[in-house]
Formats: sequence, C-alpha cells, structure tokens
Amino acid sequence: MKAFKKRRGEFWAKIEEPEVALVSSLLEQLIELLDVPGENGPEPEDPFEALARELADDPDQPEVSDDPAVRRLFPDAYPHDPAASSDFRRFTEADQRRRKVAEARVVLEALAETDAGARPLRVPADDVTAWLRTLNALRLTVATRLDITDEESAEQLHELPDTDPRAFMYSVYEFLGWMQESLLRVL
Amino acid sequence: MTLMSTTPEAPAPAGGTAVVERPADELLTQPPWVTIVWDDPVNLMSYVTHVFVTYFHYSKAKAHELMMQVHNEGKAVVASGSREEMERDVNAMHEFGLWATLDRSE
Repeated sequence: MKAFKKRRGEFWAKIEEPEVALVSSLLEQLIELLDVPGENGPEPEDPFEALARELADDPDQPEVSDDPAVRRLFPDAYPHDPAASSDFRRFTEADQRRRKVAEARVVLEALAETDAGARPLRVPADDVTAWLRTLNALRLTVATRLDITDEESAEQLHELPDTDPRAFMYSVYEFLGWMQESLLRVL
Repeated sequence: MTLMSTTPEAPAPAGGTAVVERPADELLTQPPWVTIVWDDPVNLMSYVTHVFVTYFHYSKAKAHELMMQVHNEGKAVVASGSREEMERDVNAMHEFGLWATLDRSE
C-alpha cells in the first residue's frame, strides 16, 4: 500500500489485494466481536431460541465481557465505583457497539469498492472519523491479542524472529498503525 | 502511546498556561468532575492529539501539550464540568478508543 494523498477534499491510496483481504478479514472479526444483535446472521426462527438470545442480549443487564479486547474497547468509566461503571455501561455500551459496527462497515465498503485493489482506495472527508476510529479499534484488539500492555512489551515484539508465530500478527499491528498515521498526516 | 513518526511536532508557542482569574461568584460552583485520559502503549501520539483537537476544539498547541502530559505522566485531565458533561466526554473518548475515566476533581 502507498501512503494516502489528498485530492479535491478526498483521501486516496493505492492498496494491494492481500492488504484488502487482510484488513477486510480483521473487520469481519471485529464486527463479530462487537456482537450487535442482528449483525451476525438472521434471527433464529425457533421462538425459544429467539427468547434465549434476547435474554442473553438484554441491554438492561450489560455484563463486563471476559474478553480482554472487548474490555479494552469499553473500559470502566468509574475505576473506583463498580456500580457507577455498570450504570454507565447500561446507558452507553449498546450504542457504542452499534456505532463501532456501523463505522467498521464504512471501512469494509470502501475496501470492497477497490475491487480487490484494482481501483484506488477512496476515503471521503465525511468518512475520515469512521476510518481513524476503526483502524484504532483494530489496533487495540490486535494489541490485546499480542499482550501489548506497556512500552516494553511492544518493544520486545519488535525484536521477535520471523519464525515466532506472533511475528506476523505484530507486522499486521504495525501495518494498521502505519495506515492510520498515513491518513492523519494528510488531513 | 507509541510514536510512529520521527518528525516532532513544533513546540507549543503559547503553551496554554495562562491562568484566568475565576470570578468571585463562581468560587462555590467549581466544576466538581473531571475527565481523565490515561496513557496506553497502543494509541498513536498523532491520533491522541487529533482527538483532542477535533472533539474538544483545543488548539494544536494545547492538544499536543495534553497528549505529552498523558504520555509522560501517565494521565492528564482533559476536561472538567458537571458529572453529566463528563460522562458525555468519557463516552466520546471511548468512541475514539482512548482510555478515559471520570472522577471528582480534587
């Protein structure tokens, strides 16, 4: 992929087919992780199963996810007050999840429009925020999977041999950061 | 935060350190809540600055100063106001993927 360029108020970049496939796949996984009702396949026809799903998705009883990536996307608002944090989640998290999915779809569509990299990637000015936030959400998710918890752990990953299974994921993490930085630079 | 770019931002010319005297009639109504942004090793420095400029409408200099405070000191107070206002700001920071919390101001 080449760095973003600004042309007539829009942002353009040449992107290669493997990069389109990679980022699209990550976005699909992010959307699945965000688990918004109705976004992951059709609602079940069995009424019992539908009820079970509805109960599981009850927005009045948000549960703190046991997935560290989800916890990082929706941190506690009140670190010293679990009850207030829980109230905050009840009022914000469902909307947050829906918005993140909607923004991920904006990025996914723009990637699809490149026709697997045959055409340049186009980001209209109105979509820049969705792009920056989505690339950031992907980086946060990949970073959690890589156990990047501080500057030192990030630096250690930098020195992994190519044979380490985490090396590819770390290169993905760096690519996403490069892409985000590239867009930020031309704003 | 992680620094992708090696080009440093220009130093803040104004610094944003001017202290405005609080009028006497506001002494008892100090904003009781603050929004705090915490350092994390993932978010790009340029992105955090961008968020402070676009969401809070801070000048580039002020946004950069706050971002550096987050980076160097581990956290920074980025806004103060009523609890409702701060919940709105924290929610917005979470939308951007920043690690933000609210607390009573000291």
